[in-house]
Amino acid sequence: MELEALQGINSEVRALGAQIVVLTPELERYTRALHKKLNLTFDILTDLHLKTAEEFRLVFTLPDYLRELYKSFGSTLDRFHDESEYRLPMPARYIIDKQGTIRAADVNADYTIRSEPEETLKQLRTLTASPTD
Amino acid sequence: MASLQERLDEFKKSFESGAPPYNAPHEVIETMHRATAELKGTGIEQRALKVGDRAPSFTLFNEEHVQVASADLLRQGPLVVSFFRGHW
Repeated sequence: MELEALQGINSEVRALGAQIVVLTPELERYTRALHKKLNLTFDILTDLHLKTAEEFRLVFTLPDYLRELYKSFGSTLDRFHDESEYRLPMPARYIIDKQGTIRAADVNADYTIRSEPEETLKQLRTLTASPTD
Repeated sequence: MASLQERLDEFKKSFESGAPPYNAPHEVIETMHRATAELKGTGIEQRALKVGDRAPSFTLFNEEHVQVASADLLRQGPLVVSFFRGHW
């Protein structure tokens, strides 16, 4: 749902001179399929072995009991990520300004809670209206 | 269109009702709640990078196997970066 919601604001984001990118630990064969299926007009980047997510300090390891549960659902993350550890990024949405500084950060350990894309748009409008950027 | 959070809430309600199409057993739902509570309890949210921090740069492959560098994107304008767990 996050990706569809971002797609919904992408033309307005572009009109503001900004861009969206999505980072996922999944290998390219999965990002390619997903990109096509959702008709996305922004990139999905493969953050191989969660290297960048680690730098944003978002990575956690699934407890054994949850790993087994996901496996029973057919979610074989070792295959999706090309690693044996079952690690994931916390869902997070950041806005980074042209100087490379984080200007908005929405991070939540509960993956059923997300900030609205409208909120992100509003923050971007404020940012692009300021003379420093 | 309903807001993103409204749609997420609707999905959660449907999943946690245990009814079709998901038919989620009660134990599964309990397990997921436990995992989320434990994760929150580790303080991981407070440790994540936040407003004012310098964003790490990255160069990664997109879905077309083209390398994309955050530095190149930032030269053109601000960047929205979303971390996504996956297609499953």
